[in-house]
Amino acid sequence: MAASPDVENRVEDASRTRSREVATQVLLAGSALLVLAVPFLGASPFFITLLTEALIFGIWAMSLDLLVGYTGLVSFGHAASFGFATYAAGIFAMNISADFFLATIVAILTAAAVAFLTGLVVTRLSGIAFAILTLCICQVLFQISVVWRSFTGGLDGLIGVPLPTLFGREVEPGEEFYLLTAATLIICYLLLRRVVESPFGKTLLAIRANEDRAAAIGIDVRRHKLVILILSWMTGGVAGSLFVFLKAGANPMTLYWIESGNILAITILGGIGTLFGPIVGAIGFIFIRDQVTTMYRAWQFSFGLAFVLAVLFMPSGIAGIAERIWRRLWPARSS
Amino acid sequence: MFVNSLNGIIYGSFLALTSLGLSLVFGLGRVVNFAHGVLYALGGYFFIIFLPSLGWSAMLFAPLVVVPLAIAMEWLTIAPIRNRDEIYTLLVTFGLSFMITGAIEYLWGTETTLIKPPVIFQGTVDILGNQFPVYRLFASTLSLLVTGLVFVFIQFTPVGLKIRAITDDNEMAEALGINTRWLLTSIFGGAAGFAAFAGALGAPIFSVEPEMGMGIIIDSFLAVILGGLGHLPGTAVGAFIVALAKSIGGGYIAEWAIAVLFLVVAAIMVLRPRGVFGRGRIA
Repeated sequence: MAASPDVENRVEDASRTRSREVATQVLLAGSALLVLAVPFLGASPFFITLLTEALIFGIWAMSLDLLVGYTGLVSFGHAASFGFATYAAGIFAMNISADFFLATIVAILTAAAVAFLTGLVVTRLSGIAFAILTLCICQVLFQISVVWRSFTGGLDGLIGVPLPTLFGREVEPGEEFYLLTAATLIICYLLLRRVVESPFGKTLLAIRANEDRAAAIGIDVRRHKLVILILSWMTGGVAGSLFVFLKAGANPMTLYWIESGNILAITILGGIGTLFGPIVGAIGFIFIRDQVTTMYRAWQFSFGLAFVLAVLFMPSGIAGIAERIWRRLWPARSS
Repeated sequence: MFVNSLNGIIYGSFLALTSLGLSLVFGLGRVVNFAHGVLYALGGYFFIIFLPSLGWSAMLFAPLVVVPLAIAMEWLTIAPIRNRDEIYTLLVTFGLSFMITGAIEYLWGTETTLIKPPVIFQGTVDILGNQFPVYRLFASTLSLLVTGLVFVFIQFTPVGLKIRAITDDNEMAEALGINTRWLLTSIFGGAAGFAAFAGALGAPIFSVEPEMGMGIIIDSFLAVILGGLGHLPGTAVGAFIVALAKSIGGGYIAEWAIAVLFLVVAAIMVLRPRGVFGRGRIA
C-alpha cells in the first residue's frame, strides 16, 4: 500500500520530533553533568557559594513554575513557602538534630501544613483574586514571623544554625554543600518532570486552559489545585531547608513581598511551563544581582524595569526564546 | 475600644478612597493596578517636597503631578497589553511598583518623615472623655466626602452612567459608541489622583516612607476582595471591615492584629467567595 504524501510527511515529522527530543535529553543530561562537575573545574570558593545560592533559588523557582506555568495560578506570595521552611528547618537543626534529611523533612511537612491551610481558602479563587490573596497571606505570614519573637527571633531571625550532617557526617561548607545542593536540584527536577508529564500534570494543564470546562468534564478542580499547591510548597520547602544551612540562619525578610516578587520575576523571565527555564532564570538573577548591587544603587529600579520590559515584550521568557532557536535547529516540518 | 474604633474609621476612610480607585479601574478595564500603592506614596512624597514652597495648597498640587505620571504609565505599559489575560496587568504594575519604590529610595532615601498638621488643626478635641487630634477628624471627614462625591459622580452623571455601562458589559458599551479606551485612561488618571490625594492628606497622620504604598495596597486589595472584585459599594464596606479589624484587633493583641484581620478575611472568603454582597467576580 503506497503511503500518501501526507502520511509520509507525518512520518518525517515524527522522526524529526524524535531527534529533537533525543537532543533535548542529551542537553539536559549534559547540563546536569556540568552542574555536578563545577567544583572539579577549579572554580573559586566565592563562585561556588554564589552558584549554590543560585541553584537553591532554582529549586524554589521550579516550585513556583508548577503553579504559574502548569496550573495557571499566579502566586504573588510564594516567599512564604520558602521562608516558613527556613524557620522550620533552622529551629529543628538548632534544637533537635542537624541531620539534613530530618531537617528537610520537617521543612517539607511544615510547608505542606501551611500550604494546606492556605489552600483551603485560596483554591476557591483563581486568576487575579488568587494572586492578590496569596500576596496578602504572605504578608500576614511575614508579620507573624516578625512578631513571634520567642520562636523566630523577631527581626533578627535565627542566628547560628549548625552545619548540616549527612549519614552522621558533617557536610563541609563550600564544595561539599554545593554538591548536596546540585544533587537535590537534579532529583527535584526529575521528580517534578514526572509529575508534570503524568496524567495528573496533564489535568493541571486542562485546568490552566479553562477551569470551567475542566470542571464540566468531571475534574475536581479545587482538589487538584490544592494538591499542586501543597506539592509546590513542599518543593519550596526543600529549597528553604538548603538555604537555612547555606546562610547558617533565617531572616524574616525571606518572607517579604519583595522576595515573592523576585521569585515570580525569576520564574517568568526564565520561562514558565518549562521547569528548566526558571533554573536558568535563577542563575542569571543571582549572578547579575551580585555584580550589580555592589556597584549600582538603583538595582531595584533597574530590576523592576527589566521585569516590566520582559512582561511586555518577551512573555515566554529566556526558555521561550531558547526553545524557538532549538526548534529551528531541529525543524518539525520538512521543507 | 472606642478610640480604637475611631482610629479604625479614620483609617477606613483613607482606605475607602484608595481601594475605590483600585476597584473602579478594575471594573472598567479589568486592569489590576498593583502600582496604585506607589501612586499613593508618590502623593505623600510630592506633598512634602512642595510643602516648604507652596504651603498647604501642596495637597492639591501633589495629585496634579501624579495624574500625568499615571496616565503616561497607562499609555506606555497597560494599553499595549489590554488584549492579553488580565493577570498581565497585575504583573506589569507589580514591576512598576518595584521600579517606583526603588526610584523613591534612590532619590529621597529610606527615612521616615512625619510632618506636623497645619496650625489651625493642631489641637485635640474631647470625645467622650478621650483627647483626639482635630486633624484626624478633619482629614477623615474630607476623604469620606471625596469618597461620597465619587459615588455621586458614578451614580448621577452621564459619564458615571458610561462607566457603569462599561463595567457591566464592555463590548456592548463599545457597540453603543462609548469610547472605552479614552474613558479608561482618564479614570486611571483620576483614580491615581485620588490615591495621591489620600497619600498627601494622610502624611501628617501616617507619615511618609518608601514602603507606605505597600502597606496600603495590601489593605486595599483585601478591601476590594472582601467587597467582591469590581463592586464599588462592596469595596467601601470592605475598606471599613479591614480597617476596623486591624485597629480593634490591635487594641487587644497588639502586633497580632494582622492575624485577626486575616482570619476575618479568610472567614468571609470561605462564606462569601464573591464578596460581602455576593456580586463580585471570583476569577
